[in-house]
This record gives sequence, structure tokens and C-alpha cells, in this order.
Amino acid sequence: MTQYLVSILSEGAVFGIMALGLNVIWGWSGDFDLAYYGYIAVGAYMTLVLTIGPAQGDAHYILGQHLPYPLAVVIAVVTAMAVGLIVGAIALRHLRGIYFSIVTLGAVYVMYVFAGQYTPLFDGFNGLSGLYDPMGDWFGLDFKSYQYFFLGLSLVMFALVYLFMARVSGSRFGMALRTLREDERAAAAFGRDIYRLKLKGYVLGAGVGGFAGALFAAYLGAFNTSAWAPVEVIVLYAAVLVGGRGNIMGVALGVLIMGVIVQESTRFLPQVPGLYGMQFLDQHPQILLAARGAIIGLVLVLFLRFRPQGLLPERRYVDSQPVIDVAPQTS
Amino acid sequence: MSAPATTPALEVRGLTKRFGGVVAVDGCSFEAPLGQVTGLIGPNGAGKSTAIDLISGFKLPDSGTVLFKGRALEGLPPHVISRLGLIRTFQTPREWPGLTVLENVVMARWDAGREGFFGGLVRMGHAQRARTEDELVRAREILSEFGLGALRNERAGNLSGGQKRLVEFARMRMAQPQLVILDEPMGGVNPVLGERMALAIEAFVATGTSVIVVEHNLPFIERVTQHVIVMAQGTVIAEGPFESLRSNQDVVDAYLGEQVRQ
Repeated sequence: MTQYLVSILSEGAVFGIMALGLNVIWGWSGDFDLAYYGYIAVGAYMTLVLTIGPAQGDAHYILGQHLPYPLAVVIAVVTAMAVGLIVGAIALRHLRGIYFSIVTLGAVYVMYVFAGQYTPLFDGFNGLSGLYDPMGDWFGLDFKSYQYFFLGLSLVMFALVYLFMARVSGSRFGMALRTLREDERAAAAFGRDIYRLKLKGYVLGAGVGGFAGALFAAYLGAFNTSAWAPVEVIVLYAAVLVGGRGNIMGVALGVLIMGVIVQESTRFLPQVPGLYGMQFLDQHPQILLAARGAIIGLVLVLFLRFRPQGLLPERRYVDSQPVIDVAPQTS
Repeated sequence: MSAPATTPALEVRGLTKRFGGVVAVDGCSFEAPLGQVTGLIGPNGAGKSTAIDLISGFKLPDSGTVLFKGRALEGLPPHVISRLGLIRTFQTPREWPGLTVLENVVMARWDAGREGFFGGLVRMGHAQRARTEDELVRAREILSEFGLGALRNERAGNLSGGQKRLVEFARMRMAQPQLVILDEPMGGVNPVLGERMALAIEAFVATGTSVIVVEHNLPFIERVTQHVIVMAQGTVIAEGPFESLRSNQDVVDAYLGEQVRQ
């Protein structure tokens, strides 16, 4: 049970970082980016090829270095930002709304298929493995105690990203991103360079996604194409939407709720009377997985219909200074 | 020809824009005098709004020049033109609906140093917070002048159409432009609020801001402008003080028509 809790909390912290990065792009800039999971994947792949050493046997992949994990993470984040810069520079130039989403969906599928088919890059569908307990030997940790170390590491990293995002949220930069989300033409009329500002937000989000991917690689120890179907990003969107788009506390809450829903909702499915019974599920285990997707979809639809602002809506600055109107108020 | 005293606030020469086979703006030329309110009137489809889009960089002209403070504007993107001190409004109010009225006003002032990623996040020191406080004080003053102080914490999207117009005026006041171009500010506005807008326009002039106002409401044009430009079919057909245009047969035929005979 403890082990289960440790593992689920570590994963939750990593997912929390992913959602905080997505919140920059969708929550603040307002762009429905479907390429986001690609940056997580780039972060994970780059971390692996920089830490697991040269390819052995039939395996093929680029770089193959034995760098210290923290250095690999930095390079992975920079790479994810560079990829984000390229995709963003193309997709944000003229496209908005659904057209932007379609181009980013195309971009992520190109990344996905390329990573899967072009074996010299990241060994294709086999993927990469062999990152065992990074930094564990620095502290002389064995397998069991490493889990606690990684839990602490991921929670501290989540806290740092959270504090950083709290600062972005209240900054002039964060407010400027929101003016783009609220009305882009008005933002341009008041001096904002829409394209550059959106691109900055996008690259920042991609970098945070890449960082989460680097932690995810350490958590999994391996990464391959089956670990990142591009549609995984929908779970992150669901978390941001349920918690409260644009509100980082809401995003954290959303990750917690979606994590619990995804992990636990199907656990009791076999016990629901009249639902075909245990035997049927034993024969068709894939139903559990499908049911998760259906439940996430249902939660999304219900929230979009009844509480689109999420559980904790974006908070606004409330001015408490007294202001006495000189002119009469107008209705 | 260009002695400093007579340099206009805005000089437009031969501005042309085609959309397919339609010539929306056709060799349009005019000057807006410095420190005055210039009206821009004309029938629907005369090319007034397109001309504004061309001047403010939201559309690219096919040919022609726009001079603002002696600088050519054509080809510059909207945010650069805005930063030079030319701010325009749109036919419908374009508030930032999810932000509060106060935030709408504060964010109307673009700030190079603090909106950059590093300037805004890394160097968020004491001086910056002081500047934020100054801006809040100024924004509260402006809102109080417009009678919007009580609504300052309300989301701008919840306001009435007239209140949104006032928020736009408040934003422009905050931005301190040298020239404002108002696209139909009286659209859907009641007479009491109209008077408030007339006063706001006079306040702009008093603080050294020149104004160009596109409007179909002729009593309002007569009330606030010193100089009027009449456009029809993409080009300027007459200009002068509003009073002089009543007797101009071209203007009467093209636009004023019934309104003058009444």
C-alpha cells in the first residue's frame, strides 16, 4: 500500500508539472495546443539518450552519452523548447482556434510517427530503456529507498514549478498573455506584439512539458512510442479544465481529481451489480481501459456543460482601495 | 510646406486598397490637423473603416502613404504603430472580457521592460512594484473620472454596451496616445452617455491628443469636431468645417440628403 501511494504521488507530481506547462499555452495564451505531448516525449527521449550510454547490440539511437542526470535534464528542456519554437513559429504565425489545433495535431503525429519509424533516432517502436535510479548512487540509495528519494525529488520539482508559475501568473508577462486570450486585436491596438508574445508563452510551456518528460523518463526508466499516444494530452486538458483553466491552484487540484478518477474509477467497476459481472471483465480486460477513456470523456462533457470555468475559476485582482466616482455612474 | 506649426497630426496620401474586384479605398488623401478633432463621415461602404484599418496597420494598403509625426506608417504592424502613439478603437467595443475593468485600464499601457519574459519575471524588484503601484493609482483616477470606479473589480465582459465604450475611453486615456482614431464610438450609446463621450474627446484635446472620429451621428460630429472629411466610394469628396458641408451639393447628394433637409 505504501509503495502504491509513493508511486502514485510521484506520478501525480510529474503530471502536475505537465499540466502547469499546458496551462501557460491553453490557460493563459488561450491556444488549444494538441502538440503538447510531443514536448513531453522529446524531454523524455533526450534525457534517456543522454544518460543511458552508447547503443548496444541491435539498438540504434543518437548521442548515447553518459551525462549526469541533471545536465541531461537541462539539455532535454532546451531541446523541447527548440522543437516548440519551430512548431509554434509555424502554427502561431497566422492560425488561431481550430486551425491552430489541427496544425499542432499534425505536428505531433509527425513527431510520433517519425520517432516510431525512423529507428536511428530513438530506436523506433522499441524505444529506449536503461535509466535506473538516476542520482541514486550519488546518495548511496538502494532500490527501495530510491522510491522515496524520487517522490521527494518530484514533489520538490513540482513545488518549484508551481512557485515559478505563481510568479508568472501575477506578472505583467502573464497578464499580457491573458490579453491575447481575451481579445487579440485589442491587445495589438494597445501595443502587444501578438506573435512574439504568443510564441514566448508557447516555448515556455514546451520547456515545462520537456522538464516533466525528463522526470517522467526517470520515473519510468524507459520510454517508447506506446508510452505516449498523442491523445494522452486529453487527460491533461481534462485536468486543467476540471480544476480551473488559468488558475494554477485549480490546475493542481484538477490533476489530483483526474488522477484519482483515472486510477480509481474503474477499480470498483467489477463490483457494480448487474454490470455483466466479474467473469465478463476477466475475459475482456481491455474494457477497463476503454471505460477510463469513457469516464474522462464524460467528466469533460459534464464540466463543459455545467461548470466550464472549472472548480477554481481564474482569480482576478480585487482592488480594495476606495475609489470615489467623480462622474456619475452609467448603466 | 512643412513648417512645424502646420505639421498635421496625420497625413494620408493616395491610400488605395482593393479586395478582389472591389476598390474599398481609392486614392484617399486627407490631413488631420494637430490638436483638433477631425470627423470622418460618409455613407456605408465609403471605405472609412478600411481606411482606419490601413492607417493603424491592421490591413496592408496596395499603395499610398500614411505619415504620422513625420514617419511613414504603411507596412508597419499594428503594435508598432500603437507604440508610436496612434491608438484606434473598433466598431464594436473590444474590452478584455475576462479581466476586470481596472485590469483593462492598467493593461492598456504597454510596458517594454516588464512585459518581456526576463524583464517581467527575473528582475521583478522593488522599482517594478513601485511602478505597478503608480499605474494602479493612475488607473483609479481615470476610472473615477469616467464614473467607473464602483465597477473597477467587475469583469469587463459583464458591463453594458455603453459602459464598455467608457472602458475603451479609459484605456486610451491610460495609454496616453498622441492620436486616437475612434470608429463609431456612438454606436448603440444613449444621449447621456454620448455627452460624456463628447466631454472625453474634449479632454483628449485638452491634454494634447489629436482625435479622428468616424461617426454616422451627425449632431455628435457637429458637436465635437472642428474639421470634417467626407468620404464616398473610397475617396474624399469634400472637407471643411461641418457647417460648410451643408451647402455642398456633392455631400448632400452622397450622404447628408434627408438629414439636412429636415
